[in-house]
Amino acid sequence: MLSALPGRGPAHLQRPLLGPASHLGILRPAMTAHSFALPVIIFTTFWGLIGIAGPWFVPKGPNRGVIITMLVATAVCCYLFWLIAILAQLNPLFGPQLKNETIWYVRFLWE
Amino acid sequence: MGSMFRSEEVALVQLFLPTAAAYTCVSRLGELGLVEFRDLNASVSAFQRRFVVDVRRCEELEKTFTFLQEEVRRAGLVLPPPEGRLPAPPPRDLLRIQEETERLAQELRDVRGNQQALRAQLHQLQLHAAVLGQGHGPQLAAAHTDGTSERMPLLQAPGGPHQDLRVNFVAGAVEPHKAPALERLLWRACRGFLIASFRELEQPLEHPVTGEPAMWMTFLISYWGEQIGQKIRKITDCFHCHVFPFLEQEEARRGALRQLQQQSQELQEVLGETERFLSQVLGRVLQLLPPGQVQVHKMKAVYLALNQCSVSTTHKCLIAEAWCSVRDLPALQEALRDSSTEEGVSAVAHRIPCRDMPPTLIRTNRFTASFQGIVDAYGVGRYQEVNPAPYTIITFPFLFAVMFGDVGHGLLMFLFALAMVLAENRPAVKAAQNEIWQTFFRGRYLLLLMGLFSIYTGFIYNECFSRATSIFPSGWSVAAMANESGWSDAFLAQHAMLTLDPNVTGVFLGPYPFGIDPVWSLAANHLSFLNSFKMKMSVILGVVHMAFGVVLGIFNHVHFGQRHRLLLETLPELTFLLGLFGYLVFLVIYKWLCVSAASAASAPSILIHFINMFLFSHSPTNRPLYPRQEVVQATLVVLALAMVPILLLGTPLHLLRRHRPHLRRRPAGRQEEDKAGLLDLPDASVNGWSSDEEKAGGLDDEEEAELVPSEVLMHQAIHTIEFCLGCVSNTASYLRLWALSLAHAQLSEVLWAMVMSIGLGLGREVGVAAVVLVPIFAAFAVMTVAILLVMEGLSAFLHALRLHWVEFQNKFYSGTGYKLSPFTFTATDD
Repeated sequence: MLSALPGRGPAHLQRPLLGPASHLGILRPAMTAHSFALPVIIFTTFWGLIGIAGPWFVPKGPNRGVIITMLVATAVCCYLFWLIAILAQLNPLFGPQLKNETIWYVRFLWE
Repeated sequence: MGSMFRSEEVALVQLFLPTAAAYTCVSRLGELGLVEFRDLNASVSAFQRRFVVDVRRCEELEKTFTFLQEEVRRAGLVLPPPEGRLPAPPPRDLLRIQEETERLAQELRDVRGNQQALRAQLHQLQLHAAVLGQGHGPQLAAAHTDGTSERMPLLQAPGGPHQDLRVNFVAGAVEPHKAPALERLLWRACRGFLIASFRELEQPLEHPVTGEPAMWMTFLISYWGEQIGQKIRKITDCFHCHVFPFLEQEEARRGALRQLQQQSQELQEVLGETERFLSQVLGRVLQLLPPGQVQVHKMKAVYLALNQCSVSTTHKCLIAEAWCSVRDLPALQEALRDSSTEEGVSAVAHRIPCRDMPPTLIRTNRFTASFQGIVDAYGVGRYQEVNPAPYTIITFPFLFAVMFGDVGHGLLMFLFALAMVLAENRPAVKAAQNEIWQTFFRGRYLLLLMGLFSIYTGFIYNECFSRATSIFPSGWSVAAMANESGWSDAFLAQHAMLTLDPNVTGVFLGPYPFGIDPVWSLAANHLSFLNSFKMKMSVILGVVHMAFGVVLGIFNHVHFGQRHRLLLETLPELTFLLGLFGYLVFLVIYKWLCVSAASAASAPSILIHFINMFLFSHSPTNRPLYPRQEVVQATLVVLALAMVPILLLGTPLHLLRRHRPHLRRRPAGRQEEDKAGLLDLPDASVNGWSSDEEKAGGLDDEEEAELVPSEVLMHQAIHTIEFCLGCVSNTASYLRLWALSLAHAQLSEVLWAMVMSIGLGLGREVGVAAVVLVPIFAAFAVMTVAILLVMEGLSAFLHALRLHWVEFQNKFYSGTGYKLSPFTFTATDD
């Protein structure tokens, strides 16, 4: 969809969703879609390593129980908190309301 | 599990201490700090106990020590701290210490007395010299005249027959504030027959007792007549003036002055000698006092502990009862063996069973001590009850961080705590006396973890000094929205605010992988999104925390042999909590997962659904989240309500059923059990429960105390009401997580917008901005630390603490125990 925008910036502002705007001749950072599965896998693995695998590696000593408790509690708390944050943004029901100045500069800055 | 999971096993031991070795044994036990003595002579007053004489001697010695300490302080010296380990001395040494101390005290008193007397004398001499040296010119000049001056009329005053016309003098010194009154009184009493001249000394003299400089006023009174003279003397006596002989002739006065000066010089030499001797004595005191104080303190403590033992005259030994950790029993026996073999006797200790609740002992290191401290501040756990502290190590900083989340502030807190932790072994840091510093220092590990978690939650909230960071590219594309909606420049110029619509293709590209999307910090409606997110987060965290608390109660019930409570209390509690509020959490998560922007206009409202769930009603405009939602909800509510009578009546009926055969079988035996029941500690709330929970090992049923049905039912009714209503109120209470994090974020944003933002926007010229930013940044930094770190930090600390103490711990923790406080001297070694 082409939209001619008079005034600011070059006329090539029709942006494809993926990939650089090759007809610009410059490589810009692409606005890639954020996947949901990848962060979930990464963080679940990360906190799972800390919370489930970590306790096996705690050296024997008087503080073993406390350290294991700490590892598991940290993993559970931090994972839960991150999970809530990402789930809350998974299906947004409304979008951000921006000032026109913000729209002007973000439009060209972030894309 | 770690040793912090529940209290260590504490046993009651009986110690047999032969009289010869009792003192050394107890002294040794005090050094080790293993046992807590029980007072076996509680009914005996302090004056009738066995070792009262020794205690009294120690106390007298301590009084002398206090006197010596006071003298040292008066001389401006500081007592050095005692060095090395000083064990309690054997009783025969007490006499020697007493003699030395008495001798020193007496010498000190004598020297002080001498010094005072000499000083007073010197003061008198100085005053006399000052009075003589002071010139009262006109008066003396007038004395030499023949009376042809204007004083003539006075000589003819109607004072009766002629007295001798010789002028007499009274000279002295008076305090300046009394001088006007003295002058007035003299004038009124002896009008016309005297001339008084008052002069102030140029230099103040040192007061003999206090050492402060004091001003004096000298006076010279010239008068005629003997009666006047007597009157004057009476008046000056009345005013407590110092009166000195005043010779008329100048030379005689000068001679007297010289003599006085000579005398005062000699006196000063003697005074110097006295003070040198005094400092010598003080030096000896400084050597004797610190170790002496420690030793006598320990000795007194040992005698007080010995006073708590009962005497067994047949065996010629003292019997003591003490609480001791089972792990320390071998060490205890070894200590007793060592200290008693020196005397050639043997002291033994063996364990005895007890019905009272033992004290709680949880060993902590310097890291866990602060967390155990905040749990104990609410209440020390009952013996062998599950200890919330190991979980608090992580959940408390985490809940704090949820309310404090900001990378910058968290980093500052973390660095401050890190500095304290790295410097914790420095003596200067440990010896600081400031109470507020001590409070922060003792909680340094707490602050460390709080700062660390705050950095993490700050990243999730995407706030660093209220600024958002774009670590990953944002998931919202403004350009796509602009392109799709045809936002030309003219269009933008007309509309000040425009909203991105996630329904438009390409606008929403997926959830931000770590935390809150940075586009929200630019949005005007960011609070709408954040409030919804944070409220739901608070409820989820709250329900998880509380469910965890109920689950911890399982360990208590299993350990105390009350498995019926698992089925009759824990299960109903969990069903109630999870059936209602766990379902709410499910609704929240379901809506997050399954309701998308496409149906945003008709999105179901969880709040309405939840309300309708309890009211068994239906809102036609609120579409269900999933098919058969109403059926599921109705089932859950009915199930939860059914749990209430189980909770209310289950345990009491079970207990009554279990005890009824016993109650019928042994009515006579109950009287003995009553008496036995009196020995229970007064903190047992209900008879039935105390006996249940003390049977840690599962004793026989015949030792149970009396079970009163009404009390049991009442207790259970209270528990049920507390739990069910508490579920609702406690879940709402967790919303403070949302409230405080909102407050913190807003304060932080306001501070940035009002201070830093303005500073950064000032001045396009290079020089101006640089100069202006310095004071602006200083103001920003001071307000960040004062308002956001200290005030908000304390506030979040308090609320996180409350959440733990009330909402979490009332699900499983009773906190009605007492700590094992072992008999130890370590307080005196500090």
